[in-house]
Amino acid sequence: MKRTGRISYHLCRLLLGGVFVWAGAIKALDVPVFAGQVAAYQLLPYAWNYAVAAALPYVELLAGILLLINIRIKPATLLVGLLNAVFIVVLLSVLARGLNIDCGCFGPDAGTTPLQALGRDAVLLALAVAIYRQQDRYVRSPVSPPED
Amino acid sequence: MKSLQRILFEAVLIAALGAAIGLAVNHRLISDAFTGKLAVPAAVTSVPGALLPQPVLLAEVRELANSGAVLIDARDFAQYADGHLPGALSLPLGEVEAQLAGFRQKVETGKTLVAYCNGYGCPDSFDLGMLLLKDGYRDVRVFEGGFPEWRDAGLPVVKGAR
Repeated sequence: MKRTGRISYHLCRLLLGGVFVWAGAIKALDVPVFAGQVAAYQLLPYAWNYAVAAALPYVELLAGILLLINIRIKPATLLVGLLNAVFIVVLLSVLARGLNIDCGCFGPDAGTTPLQALGRDAVLLALAVAIYRQQDRYVRSPVSPPED
Repeated sequence: MKSLQRILFEAVLIAALGAAIGLAVNHRLISDAFTGKLAVPAAVTSVPGALLPQPVLLAEVRELANSGAVLIDARDFAQYADGHLPGALSLPLGEVEAQLAGFRQKVETGKTLVAYCNGYGCPDSFDLGMLLLKDGYRDVRVFEGGFPEWRDAGLPVVKGAR
C-alpha cells in the first residue's frame, strides 16, 4: 500500500513539474507573442503585458524544474498551486466578461478555450494540493531544518 | 516539518528569482515596451530601401489624426464594432479584396494612412500597409501599439459598425 502511494506521489510530482516546464519553455521562447496573448485578457495596461509575458514563463520553468529534480518540493508546489489559483480566477473573469480568446497557456498554437483551460487548471491545482499534503509522508529529511 | 511561513517565504523567493531571470533575459523588450519604442518588425529592417509602412508611436498617431490622416482599422468587423479609434475606417485584412474598391473611392492616394490592429504580435496592420502601398497609396504608416495601447492610454474609443 505504502509502495503504491510512494510511486503515485512521485508520478504526480513528475507530471506537474513536466507540465510547468513545458508550459514555461514554450512561452519563454516567444515572449512577444505571449505578450499579445496576455493582452487579449484585457487586464493590464499596454507595457505591463510584456512584463508579465517576460517573467511568468521563467517562474513556471523554475517551479517545474524544482518539482522534477525533487528539490524544495513544498515551496515549489505551493507556488504552482498559487499560480494555478490565479489562472483560474483570471479565466473565470474571461468567462464572466464573455471574451472569446485563446488561453495562451501552452503557446499560441494550442488553441485551448478558456473553459477547457479552466478544467485543466482545476486538475493541476488538485495535483498540487495532493503533492503538498503527501510530501511529508514520502520525503523525510534526515535532519529537521532549524525552525525560526 | 517546516513552518508554513518559511515555505511561503521560499515560494515567494522562487517566484522572485524566476521573474528576475525572465525580466533580465528580456530586458530590452521590456524597456522598449515601457518607453513606447518597441522594436520594428524584422521584416522592416531586413529589406533596405524598399517602400514599407513606417511605424508610428501613439503621440504621432494623435497628431496625424488631427492633421487629416486617415486611420484604418485592420481588424475584423466585429472587433471594429466593439470599439475603434475615433474616425477610423474599417478595412479588415481578411476582407481587403472585397472592400478595397470602395475604400479607394473614399480615400485618395495622396492621403496619409495610419493602419492599426491589436498591437503586440498582430501583423495585420503591417500586411495591410504593404497592400495599400502596392495599391498606390504613398504614405502609409503602422501604429504598432494598436487598439490596446490607444484604449489603455485612456483615449476615446468609439463603438458601432461602419
